[in-house]
Amino acid sequence: MAAISYSRKNPDYPVVYSSFGAMHTRVELLAVGLSEEQGRALMTEAEQEVKRLERLFNCHDSRSPLAVVNATAAGQSVKVEDELFMALELCEVFRRATGGYFDVTAVDENAESRGENRGGYALDGKEHKVRLLREGEMIDLGGFAKGYAAESVRQIFEREGVKQAVINFGNSSIVAMGHHPYGEWWPIGVKHRKVRSAVAREVRLKDSAMSMSGQAENGEYHIVNPMTGDCAMGEELILVEGRSALVAEVLSTALYAAPRNMRKTIMAQYEGYVASEIYCRADGSTECREIVR
Amino acid sequence: MNRKEFLADCGKKGLAGVALSMFPWLESCSDKAQQEVKGEKARIGMIGTGSRGLYHIKNLLRMPNVEMVALCDDYRPHLEDAAQYFPKAKLYDDYRKLLEDKNVDGVIVTTPLYLHGRMTMDALRAGKRVFCEKSMAFTLDEALEVYNCRKELNGVLFIGQQRLFDPKYAKAMQMVHEGKIGKVVGIRNYWYRNNDWRREVPSPELERRINWRLYSEYSRGLMTELACHHLQNGSWAMGMLPEKVMGSGSLLHWNKDGRDVYDAVSAIFTYPNGVNMTFESIISNKHFGMGEQILGTEGTIDLVTCMHYTDEPAPKGSGMHQLVAQIESGVMSNSVFAGTSWAAETSALAPGMPIMDNVTISTGESTVGAEADGSIEIMEAFVHAVITGKQPAKVLEESYYATQFALLADRAMHEGAILTLDDKYKIPYEPLR
Repeated sequence: MAAISYSRKNPDYPVVYSSFGAMHTRVELLAVGLSEEQGRALMTEAEQEVKRLERLFNCHDSRSPLAVVNATAAGQSVKVEDELFMALELCEVFRRATGGYFDVTAVDENAESRGENRGGYALDGKEHKVRLLREGEMIDLGGFAKGYAAESVRQIFEREGVKQAVINFGNSSIVAMGHHPYGEWWPIGVKHRKVRSAVAREVRLKDSAMSMSGQAENGEYHIVNPMTGDCAMGEELILVEGRSALVAEVLSTALYAAPRNMRKTIMAQYEGYVASEIYCRADGSTECREIVR
Repeated sequence: MNRKEFLADCGKKGLAGVALSMFPWLESCSDKAQQEVKGEKARIGMIGTGSRGLYHIKNLLRMPNVEMVALCDDYRPHLEDAAQYFPKAKLYDDYRKLLEDKNVDGVIVTTPLYLHGRMTMDALRAGKRVFCEKSMAFTLDEALEVYNCRKELNGVLFIGQQRLFDPKYAKAMQMVHEGKIGKVVGIRNYWYRNNDWRREVPSPELERRINWRLYSEYSRGLMTELACHHLQNGSWAMGMLPEKVMGSGSLLHWNKDGRDVYDAVSAIFTYPNGVNMTFESIISNKHFGMGEQILGTEGTIDLVTCMHYTDEPAPKGSGMHQLVAQIESGVMSNSVFAGTSWAAETSALAPGMPIMDNVTISTGESTVGAEADGSIEIMEAFVHAVITGKQPAKVLEESYYATQFALLADRAMHEGAILTLDDKYKIPYEPLR
């Protein structure tokens, strides 16, 4: 259950805030200018939606539709519900548009035969069926779900007339609606895990989103390079800003997995998105380099 | 709040009122109580000057109102070791002679377990105020006998359950009682080491005398030597006593040297509300060290590391909270929180909150004694009691039941049975609340 708080300390801008755990991280939602009743109802609905998507996309829960696909669709087509099918279609589009560096089948039991011989999955658009092309193939929507869920929450907020809000999935996928009540944007500071005290970059979000990928807070490398099957081990962070949280999430994942010389090529496909590499120098300062298309 | 401040608070308003009602025995550690006995001397005699005795001696040397007047051990090298610290102390090789010594007011018994009960009762009957190492006695009957003896004589008796005097444990238990971790749903205790638990033996005929812990003729092994320290956690946290006890023990690894006490034990203590407390000890693997954890519906308290973890950690102070605070205050500034994915804080890696500052954490590896584990405070309290003749409330009852349930679990392991504590062993028990 979410912890929801409502504040009227500033009568001009009442704030509702919600925090709950989902998708292996913490989701925080903030919306401005709602009545308490409306705010609490909105936050409850948003949480329910995120939890629904978590159940749909969680490959680690044997009851989830995705886990069923992983368990049964090797060598045979399995019918899936529309939303999961659409997600898989989107993932395939993103895979192609990132030169293969965004790949939800990156982790499988045949890691030694990646690259040209990748398995992947085949989709039957008429029947909404999916077939895994190789035994041991596994679809993991972890790099997709948070961005998708963030967009879903944004749609709920828009439908309910919210003008100013921040949707934060684990600090790595953030959507801003409108602007800060006392500024022209939402000011979001980016930190590098090695330099917690300093702001590596200030991002100004206004009706836009951002995503970050890189070495996890606990030091683990967890993003797999689909071409090799090994974890990408760059020391830099990738920051992507743009309209859609989903696209930003996909891009930051793909760019981190890709070698540096591929990054410009990938970004060339994405008009309206800005990507940066954030490095931590030996003296503890940080450097932000834009990946110019 | 650090250890010193906590103890200082035990005589002041605020926390003090709560703390002292929960932990009345800590009163004698307070500055006020120590002031009461300033300038007075407790004349102490020690029976048993082996490794644990020497550990206490090193603490006693720091206490200005202690005068060590007599030392006793029937193993001469140990006695001589101790005598170096107190050249004026009278030396005995028979504890009964020490008890006849009119210059001795208080006696510290640090002998093998099988001698605890007899020596404690003899000392009480000799009019001495007594501190005896845990466990309180060698058998359930004997523990009751000791308890009744103290009661009949209205004497002073402390058992070396030093955690009861450790400020970090007291503070943590106070948080449990205040509901900071919700409803208590489990208690986990473990103590792992990887050593043979042996002391060096200068000549073979001394083996059983020096390594008495390894032989069931003198010791109940891991349950009375280690578990006894942990078993008070359940009653302390929940204010009730276990209803049934079960367990299993094995002589698993150190089984070539003739010992006959278990070197691997697991025990479960079930409380009337259904909560289980576990104790496990293995002395052929030390990876996890020592742990004592109170599990609640809303969080966990790790007594050993003195940390508090919440099950649903609210990211207080997060960038999103900063944004909320800014809007409430009508300002805008940068909120720094974006980064790579924030991992769910439900695992052991979650950053908890320290319960108290500047604590010393024991790994449980030492087979003699740890630092800053309440041993100094319990000894200060005992010295205070030797001078004043006042027995602190409730603490003996906690120690009594820690011993009884350690012994009962040992019996359950040997009998392969689920046991309850017979009514005849039940003494008046007032939960700590």
